[in-house]
Amino acid sequence: MPECYQEPDDARKSVSAAPAPSPAESRQTAAVSLRGLTQRFRSNSGAYTAVQNIDLDVRPGCFLSLVGPSGCGKSTVLNVVAGLMTPSEGTVEVFGEPLRGVNRRASYMFQQDALLPWKTVLENVLLGLTFQNRDGAEAHELGRVWVRRVGLSGFEHAYPHQLSGGMRRRVAMAQSWIVNPGLVLMDEPFGALDVHTRQRMEGEVLDLWAGSGNTVLFITHDLEEAIALSDEVAVMSAGPASRIVARHHIDLARPRNLLDIKTEPRFGELYRTIWSDLREEVLKSYARDRE
Amino acid sequence: MFVWQVLLGVALLGTWQGLVGAGVLDKFFFSRPSEVAMRVWQWLVTGMLGEHLAVTLLEAFLSFTIGAGAGIGLGFLLARVGWLAELLDPYIRIANALPRVVLAPIFLLWFGLGIWSKVALGVTVVFFIVFFNTFQGVRDVSPALLNNARMLGASERQLARHVLLPSALTWIFSSLHVSVGFAIIAVVVAEYLGASKGVGSVISESEGLFDTTGVFAGMAVLAGVVLVVGTGVNWLERRLLRWKPERSESSGTRA
Repeated sequence: MPECYQEPDDARKSVSAAPAPSPAESRQTAAVSLRGLTQRFRSNSGAYTAVQNIDLDVRPGCFLSLVGPSGCGKSTVLNVVAGLMTPSEGTVEVFGEPLRGVNRRASYMFQQDALLPWKTVLENVLLGLTFQNRDGAEAHELGRVWVRRVGLSGFEHAYPHQLSGGMRRRVAMAQSWIVNPGLVLMDEPFGALDVHTRQRMEGEVLDLWAGSGNTVLFITHDLEEAIALSDEVAVMSAGPASRIVARHHIDLARPRNLLDIKTEPRFGELYRTIWSDLREEVLKSYARDRE
Repeated sequence: MFVWQVLLGVALLGTWQGLVGAGVLDKFFFSRPSEVAMRVWQWLVTGMLGEHLAVTLLEAFLSFTIGAGAGIGLGFLLARVGWLAELLDPYIRIANALPRVVLAPIFLLWFGLGIWSKVALGVTVVFFIVFFNTFQGVRDVSPALLNNARMLGASERQLARHVLLPSALTWIFSSLHVSVGFAIIAVVVAEYLGASKGVGSVISESEGLFDTTGVFAGMAVLAGVVLVVGTGVNWLERRLLRWKPERSESSGTRA
């Protein structure tokens, strides 16, 4: 299992709002390493700085969630790591190598529905392999295994419009995990689902992740979800020019039972600690919206 | 519904036949459905219909394939290369605004009386319809679909094949009825203006002889062709756009 939650280093003891570790102490190859990341956008009303001077390391095999008030630039960070956006300033390293162009070591589960409507469930799941020109019987078999893993047996030949929202999310999940990329980026993947479907799918993500060796960078505005799933929660400040204001190690034991975890005392403690950081930022973002 | 559609047709033709029979309409100017049917039958058995129809259909087919091919190609190119689209934009709009019929005599001069002057006119009609739809279709692809495919490792070519082309196809198909119909209209108009073969030339000849029965017979043949081709397009559309959500039953219209 990854050491990210077993042996927290002193710089970021659990439940302390410690500053991000300095570059020197995270010399070991991080799955993702951001240094001084700044992203500006040009709009008709001048330049807009979405995120400013972000340092972040995600250790290999860890599950890290970014939380923050809406509009704080969480997705911007994810898009930069995905290589879909070139940072205005700063560097991005993925598994020790500077990122150029689209991140080939990552798959990305988008917030919006991104399945191809003209392909069946199985074809959508196999899309990443198709692009690698792996479309033989072996790939097909793997696709079927993944369709089964996300609980969609019997729907292999259905088209996306014939599925419910939750089922479409499952296809997207299989699509992004089947390629086993090393790094999985997830941008509020379950935001649009009802509470129960959502909880089930959170459990399924943990099942997929456990033992896969993949690193997960997860975005959510839901603090409970972040704590329940992650090894580490990073809190971003209200935009514009968001930074990372706190990082918290989540030392809840694994495997976790998501049905009961929220009633554990330790969960409550973690929640209160992190919420006290997040609360300020949420209030700031309210104030800014009202201006 | 089909029964009612047939009944309506029979009623309209019956009225026409009756009015001419009763002398309300002049037979010389309006002919009669029974005579028109006889004429079509005559053409059919003498092999004249087959000969002319084959030419017209060949011309329409060639205009459609060439026009659609060029339209898809250029639509793709311009949708992907922004500066080129901007550069050509006014010229495309000017070209599209030209009334196509005025080009027919010029094409006659350039390509002669044979089939190619007709194909040329058909191409100019089909091309723009398909071009604009392809352009829109490619531009219209949601960025999420593109980014998702990119993240899954799609090369530019794979992106075109798996994402852009299928998206454009839905647009192209929505205009297929129009573009196929226009291809037939365009070649018939071109034949009408000058040709020795084709349904359009038959209509033109009959008109020169004040033979209204011949003109109506030509129109009847075209109507049949359009009906058959339209059914074919419907069938193709249903097969190729299988993945699309079905329209609600009540609003469904049958050909």
